[in-house]
Formats: sequence, structure tokens, C-alpha cells
Amino acid sequence: MSRKIIKSKYDLYEEKIETIAEVPSEKEKPLAPNSKLKYVGKDVNRYDGYDKVSGSAIYTIDKVLPNMVFARVMVSPHPHAKIKSIDVSKALKLKGVLHIITNENTSEIPWYYNTSKLFDKHLRYQGDEVACVAAETEKIAEEALSLIKVEYEIMPHVVTAESAMKENAPKIHNNGNFGRPSEYTRGNFDEGIKQADVTIEDTFTTQVEVHNPTEVHCSVVNWDGGKLTVWDSTQSIFSVRDNVAQSLGLNASDVRVVKKYMGGGFGSKLEAGKYTVMAALLAKKIGRPVKAAMNRREMNLSVGNRPDSNQTITIGTKKDGTFTAMSHIAYGVMGAYPSGSSSYWPLRSIYKCPNIKIDNKSIYINAGRARPFRAPGHVQGTFALESIIDDLALKLGMDPIELRLKNYTEVDQDGDVPYTSKLLKEAYEKGAEEIGWKNRNKIPGSQTGEIKTGIGMASQIWWGGGAPPSYATLKLNSDGSAKIFSGTQDIGTGTYTFMQQIAADVLEIPIDKVNVDLGDTGTMPYSGGSGGSMTAPSVSPAVYDAAIQMKQKLISNAAAILEVDESNLIYSSGNISSKNDSSKSIEIKDVVGKIHERVLVTTGARNENPNGYAINSFGAQFAKVEVDTMTGIVRVKKIVAAHDIGRVLNRKTLENQFYGGVIMGLGYALMENRVIDDYTGKVLTTNLHDYKMPTMQDMPDIKVIIVSEEDNLISPTGVKGIGEPAMIPTPGAIANAVFNAIGVRIKSLPITPDKILEALNSKS
Amino acid sequence: MKDFNYIQPDSLSQAGKYLSNRNNDAVILSGGTDLLSLIKENIYTNENVVNLKTIPNLNNIKYKKGEGLTIGALTKISDVAESKIIKEKFTVLAEAAKEIASLQLRNMGTVGGNICQRPRCWYYREDFDCIKKGGGECFAYQGENKYHCIIGGGPCYIVHPSDLAVALTALDAKVKLFFDDSSRIIPIHEFFILPEDDYLFENILRDGEIVTEIIIPDLPDGAKSSYIKIKERETWDFAVVSAAAVISKKGSNIKSGKIAYGGVAPIPWTEEIINKSLKNLNADKNEIEKISKIILADAEPLEKNKYKVILAKNLVKRILTNLVLDA
Ligand SMILES: Cc1cc2nc3c(=O)[nH]c(=O)nc-3n(C[C@H](O)[C@H](O)[C@H](O)COP(=O)(O)OP(=O)(O)OC[C@H]3O[C@@H](n4cnc5c(N)ncnc54)[C@H](O)[C@@H]3O)c2cc1C
Ligand code: SF4
Repeated sequence: MSRKIIKSKYDLYEEKIETIAEVPSEKEKPLAPNSKLKYVGKDVNRYDGYDKVSGSAIYTIDKVLPNMVFARVMVSPHPHAKIKSIDVSKALKLKGVLHIITNENTSEIPWYYNTSKLFDKHLRYQGDEVACVAAETEKIAEEALSLIKVEYEIMPHVVTAESAMKENAPKIHNNGNFGRPSEYTRGNFDEGIKQADVTIEDTFTTQVEVHNPTEVHCSVVNWDGGKLTVWDSTQSIFSVRDNVAQSLGLNASDVRVVKKYMGGGFGSKLEAGKYTVMAALLAKKIGRPVKAAMNRREMNLSVGNRPDSNQTITIGTKKDGTFTAMSHIAYGVMGAYPSGSSSYWPLRSIYKCPNIKIDNKSIYINAGRARPFRAPGHVQGTFALESIIDDLALKLGMDPIELRLKNYTEVDQDGDVPYTSKLLKEAYEKGAEEIGWKNRNKIPGSQTGEIKTGIGMASQIWWGGGAPPSYATLKLNSDGSAKIFSGTQDIGTGTYTFMQQIAADVLEIPIDKVNVDLGDTGTMPYSGGSGGSMTAPSVSPAVYDAAIQMKQKLISNAAAILEVDESNLIYSSGNISSKNDSSKSIEIKDVVGKIHERVLVTTGARNENPNGYAINSFGAQFAKVEVDTMTGIVRVKKIVAAHDIGRVLNRKTLENQFYGGVIMGLGYALMENRVIDDYTGKVLTTNLHDYKMPTMQDMPDIKVIIVSEEDNLISPTGVKGIGEPAMIPTPGAIANAVFNAIGVRIKSLPITPDKILEALNSKS
Repeated sequence: MKDFNYIQPDSLSQAGKYLSNRNNDAVILSGGTDLLSLIKENIYTNENVVNLKTIPNLNNIKYKKGEGLTIGALTKISDVAESKIIKEKFTVLAEAAKEIASLQLRNMGTVGGNICQRPRCWYYREDFDCIKKGGGECFAYQGENKYHCIIGGGPCYIVHPSDLAVALTALDAKVKLFFDDSSRIIPIHEFFILPEDDYLFENILRDGEIVTEIIIPDLPDGAKSSYIKIKERETWDFAVVSAAAVISKKGSNIKSGKIAYGGVAPIPWTEEIINKSLKNLNADKNEIEKISKIILADAEPLEKNKYKVILAKNLVKRILTNLVLDA
């Protein structure tokens, strides 16, 4: 199959990501519709399900190598300080301590886009790394930390955006506390406001949310001569390879990163950790493998979070609801090192509006740095936008869905190009029907009684169409079994399983004949990081392409073996036979068995994205809540998630993604909150009791409705990603449902009982 | 975490002897659900840990009509939640037990450990040298005090974390204590102490004194009781505010009643003036409304916990309505 090299373009936020990629030169015939397939789209069990449930799956945190030692990182107890001196002599004397690295014996390795170092004397948050100890056991390493004497020069701290933005605020970086701003204009906002009959403006705030995946961040490293192997709990093996190689001055080819199973990342594991590089430095010095793992406390301090936000939104409309102008002025904290905190994108993209003004500021504070978190910016942005749109609908006397439909767009507002597909209208319709939209309170808060129910909804837009480069290698063996290799990783989302399904359907073989190996930069063809809802839409077409090529290869080989012209052969259920001579037939395993190498190999590639289209996923979620007006408690009874996500690859893992996304959105809407003590600058929520996440019993009834079939303009598998869309609209839908129940708008997340009680109290 | 020796006594007197010797620097372990986190966080650094679970006969639930109920200190919280007699007769206690933590923690945690557990103030649990740990200031007072007390505070502003303690206060329970080789019995309201009396501890236990039993006087036939707990998630969470009520009725009137609140004060809180006003009350909607208005009249909420006053009033209204009107 012929190939070409292209400059692949992919939009993510304002970044136009360009990479060189090899793609099939012609458009492939798409995978058959799900109704014609045996595995794809069905309730297929997870490939790795047995291993995970039985406990035989070895996660990175479980990994043990012969002779392995343990590393623990010492972190700053202060939110802002300089190291005056470090004395490790006492710690080194502790029996079992093997080596300690600090800024004094480590070369300067740049970190955080050159704003800091692996070991920086200037510590900018409680959790910034000071030293790393390797010892025979984790316990000894831990004890050694308490024996390191550090003299700190304590500096004044700031832990809120408001105080960090003040002119005389303590500076966290030499050039101040402001990061790169995000500004954007379309048309003329002021003109648009002049044209408006009705204007609405309000401010919404959201909290810092911490990822807290089940499996802690960890790495195991081992040197073999000058080559380094890293087992890492990561969402992106190739990024870790490149980060680690660069930090250590190695060739990327000398670093091999491996990851088989993972207990969650949610965006916090897309980059290499300092602990990984520290472990590698220690391992090199000691000459033994090293494991470095965070504990839950460090997970809540140092490995990322969703930044908070303060968003002021203004919308001008005509009397009939047509938007004439929108603005989004916001700020949020990105922690102590460069990241982003903007939240405007939903406002910029989801509705039709000719005049837009955006100004978002990202602020440094003395706290852990933000990292991507399941739909960065979109979750907080959607909450604010969809809240104010409901308020506007009330003001205009319109049904909230009607107002959204009034401003529906069939073309991408940024690039002025059509979408490959957009079935948001259908999502509104189906979702509204399922939740019983017509039964919602026409006048919010109008129910009598202590417990009031409410219904609300919110819409969603995301990218997630995938892009090249992404490759998958397929091997077919002479026992009829197949194996797929690809340098992506399954972070718990079901990547292993859909690959199996696609290959089994294309080759028409039983699914248990297909094995999958993922997560090894040393042996597998490249595929991207598992983030941005990119994995399935990027790699599923590569697997499909590999399987299609394999089928063709089998037919060509069978033609030679059977001495029949290729055009006379038909492929069916793993058999190749002559159209006109039924005696000439061969099973595919025998085809492989008859060729010299007893194995056939193909490598498939993701196709090029279509030109002249925008690729986005859409959806709407509907929430039904009960609010106890005596206690302020919100109980989410039901969430309907109606989404346009292209083709469903696996109904079970799809629903899993929605359950996970909705429960995460519910936690964000109602309880999760990182709290920092302003006076001391220290985090108060470093365990899973004080940092409250929802439990099984907080789970609502969740109904998933998929309104799309395959979108073959995107790729032959026609898939859009769902990991992020599943969470984006949940908090907005819950907030709107709460408003519908009690008639008072809670403008700040999380919506906790105190806020509801105080709001109801000040109303009455 | 500091290493410790693990002591496993066979009898109460052995444990009592060991614990009463101050040189032993020992601490009691029952279910360990709280103690082990205190040790892991270096809040406790004792040399010796004495396991009470090896002592026989400390985990019985006994009821005798007219006399009342006794519960051994080592009884699991889940056994209290599931006990038939407690569910029927001392409903408030079973309901409080059922509201505690999670099933796993209830299966490990004991009644004695529950009323002796240490506060959950996040400054206390984190690395802050606050008054309760012998330091010089209360960080919560002007800090993050959403979950702190609204009455009875100063110089420390914790709330008592135990759900059982609130129910036991409403039930007028007594606590049996053992020290060295003798025991004493004291009413539960004397067991818990306010920070103004001792801010380092939440109860009167002497160092090394063991809670061995809880004694609950019998309730008159027809008495009704209930526990309502408000938490920010459905399970595995401490009370933001809770209320326990025990009511005896005569016809449609309340003969006598007692209400206790959790989550509002450093000890389970009860107000004599409210309990008195319940006496011979013709309990209709209006009267309940009136009572709920006057509870916690002396509350002095901190900056971030004013909502607790509203919540406590609403809970009292709800619990009385449930017990008296909706019955
Ligand atoms: C995540 C989490 C959530 C929780 N939620 C709740 C909740 O909602 N409501 C609630 O009430 N509790 C809650 N708890 C607390 C839990 O109920 C207590 O940890 C448990 O009841 C303590 O019992 P234990 O037997 O494990 O005590 P231990 O941990 O063994 O001891 C606790 C303390 O009491 C002392 N002690 C123990 N037994 C005795 C005794 N017989 N005499 C004298 N001193 C003694 C110990 O020295 C120690 O200081 C929660 C705990 C956790 C970890
Ligand atoms: S409330 Fe008590 S435990 Fe909490 S910080 Fe203040 S003194 Fe310490």
C-alpha cells in the first residue's frame, strides 16, 4: 500500500500542531458499519480485565527488579524559601542509605521550560524538591529524609491570584507573577454590545481540583551500560523518553520507556517527573535499579491540578435571543511554574457569535504547578458559560435549549469551515426526552416543600478527532494468532480491547486469537500520548490499516500457494478460496505456515485529516437533582449523557468512560476542593479524607445515549475521542439543575451545603 | 513514622499495670483506625503500643430490662449498628453507628476507640504546631474554619469527631474507666471536656486510663430516638453537623426529651434550656419551630462556618418533626 509523507496539522486550543507523518496516500474504504460487524461496537470484555481483576497485572508501582533500591524525595515544607545550606552527613551515616543527591552534587538540569532546575535553591511552593535519597528500603529512605538538615531563608508567599496580582506582591519569578496572557478578538465586541437589546454580565469562580489517580506517580529505572530503561506510570511513553533523554544528555534511542498497566492519570502523567530523572541519576551512581514513588501527600502537592478560575462573562443579545457579542475576562492560578489557566475556549467556539473579546490571565502563586486535567479549561469554562446562558434564557423568557438552538452554528466560528459532523441538535433532542425536560420547573425554585427537584443541562464541544502520526504493527502467526504492537499506551480506557476488536473484525477471526502489546518505546512503532481524547481516533485507523494490508498480503500469498489468480480469490471467515474451484481453499494460518518466515508483518498508519473541515465532538448532558433546602445537600439522581462521538468502538468501555467522566464532574461540581491556608501558604487537603472525592454511593443513575454513527470524513474507523467530552458538561448541567430546583444561582464551585444554605438564607 | 514495640496483654489488669506506668510511654490501640494514622503522621511518637484486642470479654453487648444496656469498649462499631436490641430500643445509637465512616472502618473501629478518637482539624492532622499540639497558636481561628466549632471554642476550635458520642450524650450514657487496677464510672457529659479546661485533650482520661464499658440507662417503653447526620458526601465522611434526639411521649405531648448536637462544639453539645423546654411540651408545628429558633442562641460562629447555625436549627426542626409529628 502506498504511503506519503505529509505535514500533519492538528488544532488544540490556539496551537496549530504540525508534525511530519507518514500516511496512506489514498483514502481507504471505511470499516463496515457496526451493524455488520461481530466485535466492533459491541459489549466486548476488556482484554486486560482478567489480569486486573485477579491481581496478576503488574503495574509500575508493583514492579520489583532484582537488587532494586528505593528513592524518596525530600520536599520543601515552606511555600516560598531559599536554601541557605544543606547538610546530608547525618543522613548518609544511616545504615542502608546509599546515596543522596541535592543541588550541591548535581549538575544544573533545566526544568519547567527553563524557569527552574531539577534542584533549585529557590523553592517556590510547599512540595518543591530539595533532595533525593536512595536506600535499601523505602522506610530507610524515608527516615533519611528526616535526618537531612536544611537551613531555609523563608520568603513571603502568595497563594491566591488576587494577592499575587497586586503590585507590591512578593515576586515568584524575576519577571513577576503573570504568565503568558491569552487574548483574542473576533469582530468588534463594543459594536456588538451596542446592537444588543439585552445584556447580561456575571462572575463565576471555580476551585483547584487535584487529579488524584489511584496509582501514584512512580518510576522504576535500570541502566544497562549507557542505556537506560524506565518503567513509568505514564500517559505518554514517548514524551517521557524525550524528556528523560534531554535531561540526562542521552540520545532518545538510549532511553527505553515501558508501561503496561496504569491506575489512572487524567492528564497529570503526560510529562516526565523530576523523580524519574532523580532515580536515573541515583541508579547510575549506585549501579542498581531504583524505584521512586510518590505518596498520597505528594500527589496532592506536586504532580498537577486543574487551575482555579474567576471568569466574568458578558453576553449581548437581540430580543429573540441572537447573540451579538460575548466577552470572557478571566484569571486563574497556574501554580509556581509555567502552565496555563485559561478557560475561554467553550465561549469562543460553541455558539454562533460575530463579536468576541477574550482576555485570560494566568497567575503564578506559591503552590503546585497546574497540569492538563481532563479537558483543561473546558470544564470550568463550560460551567460558567452554560450557567450564564441559562440565566439569560430566564431573562429573555426563553427555554434554555431554544436559546442554545437560536445560536447554533453549522460552521466552525474560528476557521469558518464546516464540521465533519455535528449532531448536537440530536443530542439536545434525545437527552431532553430521556430526562423529561418538559417536566422541569418553568419557574426555578417554585416547588414547595423542603426537598426540591430540578432539571438542568449543559452543552459540550471538544476536539478529539485524532491525527497522524500514529502507527501499529500487526503480526500474523502460523497458529492463526495475531499480535498488535503500538507505541501508545492503555491508561485504563480500553485501548488494548478496541485494537483487538478491529483486527478480529477485519481479519474475520475470533477475538481471542488477537493479542496486543502496548507501551514500549524500544520495540514499538510510534503512537502519541494518551491525552486530549486523541488515542482511539488516532490509533484505531492505524490498526485498521495494518489489518487491511494483512488481508491483502494473505490473499497475495494464497494466490501464489494455490496458484490461482488473486482476482479469483475470496476472503471469508479466515479462509481464502477460489471463486470457481471449491477444492482450492486455504485457512489463513496455513498461508502463514507455508511461507518461509512463518510470520507475516504489516505496519499500518493513521490517515491524513481532511482539509477544509473542523473536527469536533459535541454533546449535551442533562442532570436531575434533589436539593434539600433544610441541609443544603445536593443529591444528583440522574445524568443523561447524549453525545456525538462518531463510531462506538466498544459499548462497555465507552460507558465506563462516561461513568468515570460524570462522577469526576460530579465531584468537581459538589465537593472536590484543594484548600490552602493563606497565612502559612500550606495545603490543608493532602489526604483523601480532607480532599473529598465522590464515593460509589454518590453515583447517580447514568444513562448514555450516542447519537452518532461513524464519521468517515475523519478516518476509516470514524471515531472521535470521548475521555474528555464525558466530563466537560457535567458540572454545568448540575449547577443549572440546582438553580432550577432552588431558584438561586450558586456561582462558585463546588456547590457545598454551606453555600446553598447561605444563599437560601439571604434570599428569604 | 517512628518504630514502636507492640504489647499484647492477656488481661485487663496486665494492660492496666503496663499502661499506668508512665515510664512505659505507651499508647492504647483498639481497632487502630485512628491511632495508626496518628503514628504514621508523626503526631504520636510513643515507644510502646498496647493492643487491647487480645483482652477477652471487652466486646459484649448486654441488655437487661429496667437496668439498661452495656457495651464493651472493644465492641466493633458494625456490631452496634447491627445489634437487634440497639436498633429497636436505642435506635439513635444504631443510626449513629451506621453513619460512621465506611463499612471497612466500622468493621475495624471500636466503640471505645470511637469516643477516644482525636480531632480531625486539618491543622492538627497536618504539619502545624498548633495549640493542641503544644504550640502557640490556633491556626483555624482566623484560617480555614469551615468545619470548626460554633460554640464552646477557645483557645482551640475543634469539633468532636465522634458520632457515637453524640448519640450517647442524648442517651445519658456513662463511661466506665479502668486505671492501674481500679475502675470508676462517670457520666458522659463529664467525660468530655472543653478546651478552656484542657486544650491538649478532649476528655478526662488520665494517661494510660482505659475505657472498658459504656453503660446506657434503660429507656421507658415507647421512647423514640433518632440520629441525623449531615455530611458533604454520602459516605466516608465526618459530620458537618449532626443531631441526636431521644423523646418519651405521653399522648401527643412530649413527656421528656434530650437533644445533642455533633459538629458544633469541641464536645458533644447539649443545651439544658432546650431539654427543659421539651418537658411536657404539646409538640405541634409551631412549638417545634419555636424550639428550633432558640437553639444555640449563644453560638459564636467563626468567619467560615456561620452556615452551621442555620444547619443545626434546621436539623433540630427535622428531627423533632420526624419523631413527634410524622410518627
Ligand atoms: C476515613 C475515616 C473516616 C471516619 N469517619 C468517621 C465518622 O464519620 N464518624 C465517626 O464517629 N468516626 C469516624 N472515623 C473515626 C473512626 O470511627 C475511628 O477511627 C474509630 O472509631 C476509632 O476506633 P478504633 O478502635 O480504631 O480506635 P484506635 O485507632 O485504636 O484508637 C483511637 C484513639 O483512642 C484511644 N483508645 C482506643 N481505645 C481506647 C480505650 N478503650 N480506652 C482509652 N483509649 C482508647 C487510642 O489510644 C487512640 O488515641 C473515621 C475514620 C477514618 C479513618
Ligand atoms: S482548632 Fe485546635 S486543633 Fe485546630 S488548629 Fe486550632 S488549636 Fe489546633
